[in-house]
Amino acid sequence: MRREICALTKIYHFSAAHRLHATRYSDEENRRIFGKCNNPKGHGHDYHIEIKVTGNIDPETGMVINLSELDEMIKDIIEELDHTRLDIEVPHFREFVPSGENIAKYIWMRLQPKMKKGAPLHIKLWETQDNYFEYFEEDNYSANE
Amino acid sequence: MGYKTLLTKRVEFSASHRYWNPKWNEEANKAVFGKCISPYGHGHNYVLEVTVDGTVDPDTGMIINIYDLKPLISEVLKDFDHKFLNEDNPYFKDLIPTTENIARVLWDLIEKKLKETTDCKLYRIRLYETPDLFVDYRRE
Repeated sequence: MRREICALTKIYHFSAAHRLHATRYSDEENRRIFGKCNNPKGHGHDYHIEIKVTGNIDPETGMVINLSELDEMIKDIIEELDHTRLDIEVPHFREFVPSGENIAKYIWMRLQPKMKKGAPLHIKLWETQDNYFEYFEEDNYSANE
Repeated sequence: MGYKTLLTKRVEFSASHRYWNPKWNEEANKAVFGKCISPYGHGHNYVLEVTVDGTVDPDTGMIINIYDLKPLISEVLKDFDHKFLNEDNPYFKDLIPTTENIARVLWDLIEKKLKETTDCKLYRIRLYETPDLFVDYRRE
């Protein structure tokens, strides 16, 4: 029998404000690089996070992952991000610019170690309806596509 | 390196289901499946995406005519649409109708029909249980 590849994707939501500003650049440079996103008081988005888990279908449960377990694993990550000003209130983003790329990576870094049997994660972060960012381990991409 | 053309058809169907593993007692079932063990089932508006892989016919410009693909899928979905999957559908007598297992069964049924009547290959099944929850299934 051929190999079966099954992935479950659950979409979670949070809303947050951020300002894109890199401390190593001057204010003028920051305005040039980040444009409107450098506004000192910040601006916000309704983020949608697609969490895709690839794995075997457990014969006892019929599931790749139990959704209540996934909800539980991501709960504190969402709580940390939801309704905050990311670059001020979330410690990680005081150090790293809260760009879509960095937020997607941060969610992957927090969630991947919690996955049973190392089931690979593919994170897709929608910042607006027209922008999304993905983060995943490249070796697992074929299994994840 | 090659090029690939894929075609996806979306179809909706509505069905009810119940999660229950007969090997376990009620307590164990509740711990794993929660509200989904409710005895008479509960329902969803499923959205099925069938993605087909094949050669583009130079005369029609198509991998497969959607006029042929749509009735093929509808035929398969007769056992699913407006059914209680656990009892009305022959494939879930001994298989829990999770989104994963429904996707797997649909893969088998649609692949078989595609093979019988076309030169196309099934590439992927995506099944949405809700707009925020879906499963991708394929075999290679």
